[in-house]
Amino acid sequence: MKLGRPKEKKAGPKLAMEPLVDCVFLLLIFFMISNILRVPPPFAVTLPESRARSEFARKRYNVFIDAIGRISVDDKMMPNGDALETFLFTNKDKIETLIIRADKATQHGYVTDVMERANRRGIESIAIAVNEDDYKGNM
Amino acid sequence: MNLQHGKEEQDVAERRARRSPDIDMTPMIDCVFLLIIFFMLATTFAPLPGIRVKLPPPGKPTKEKPKGLIMRVHRPEGGTKDGVMVLNEEIVTYEYAYSRFMTSSAEAKDMLIIQAERAVPHEQVVKIMDLAKRAGVEKIGFATTGQ
Repeated sequence: MKLGRPKEKKAGPKLAMEPLVDCVFLLLIFFMISNILRVPPPFAVTLPESRARSEFARKRYNVFIDAIGRISVDDKMMPNGDALETFLFTNKDKIETLIIRADKATQHGYVTDVMERANRRGIESIAIAVNEDDYKGNM
Repeated sequence: MNLQHGKEEQDVAERRARRSPDIDMTPMIDCVFLLIIFFMLATTFAPLPGIRVKLPPPGKPTKEKPKGLIMRVHRPEGGTKDGVMVLNEEIVTYEYAYSRFMTSSAEAKDMLIIQAERAVPHEQVVKIMDLAKRAGVEKIGFATTGQ
């Protein structure tokens, strides 16, 4: 029978966690400041393909139009065109370029409606978003 | 004996005072890592591809006939996917429209006006814009036929 004081646990090699924590906090701050959250629209939108394209910075306030003509600004549904126009007017200072992300099957009339309303409210820079994938068409 | 015992007690008290309280950082680091993973997944840095559209300043439309290229697009009929395209009074296909854009004068290439009916699919309009941009047309404008 072995009696006596219990053996003390051997202290393992200590890892200095402070630099790791510092790095992690820096990363967190970086992502928090630079992030533009992916805001999905309340409906599915398939963008048309195009080989000619310019690049635009991802910002908030993108107008989505689905195949049957429903309109949303980011994830906020617009009940009608007037609501969209009011929204654009109140936020026009925050919109550098209005990006219209319309479904390829939607009618062109819905897109021109949005463009006209934006133009009427003083938004001059407008772009039509195209599919981010590589062009697969034959022409 | 009593004196020695008192000294030992004093040493223990000093050692206790010197040892700083340990804060367990593990749960906080777990949370921070979760936050980082969330932000990394939810953030996008790649720019968004698109085609810039120029619109005239709002006001009354001019009655002057615009110069340059005018593409009229009719609504698709008879179960067809795309509508008939008419470029400067001439019915065109996509290939022919592209060659017409390419061979147009620099002045004409300055602007293309697309007059598409409301029922024309957006995909067809984007395809025309794509061809025009690739052929060197600088600006693209829109008009509606009011249908």
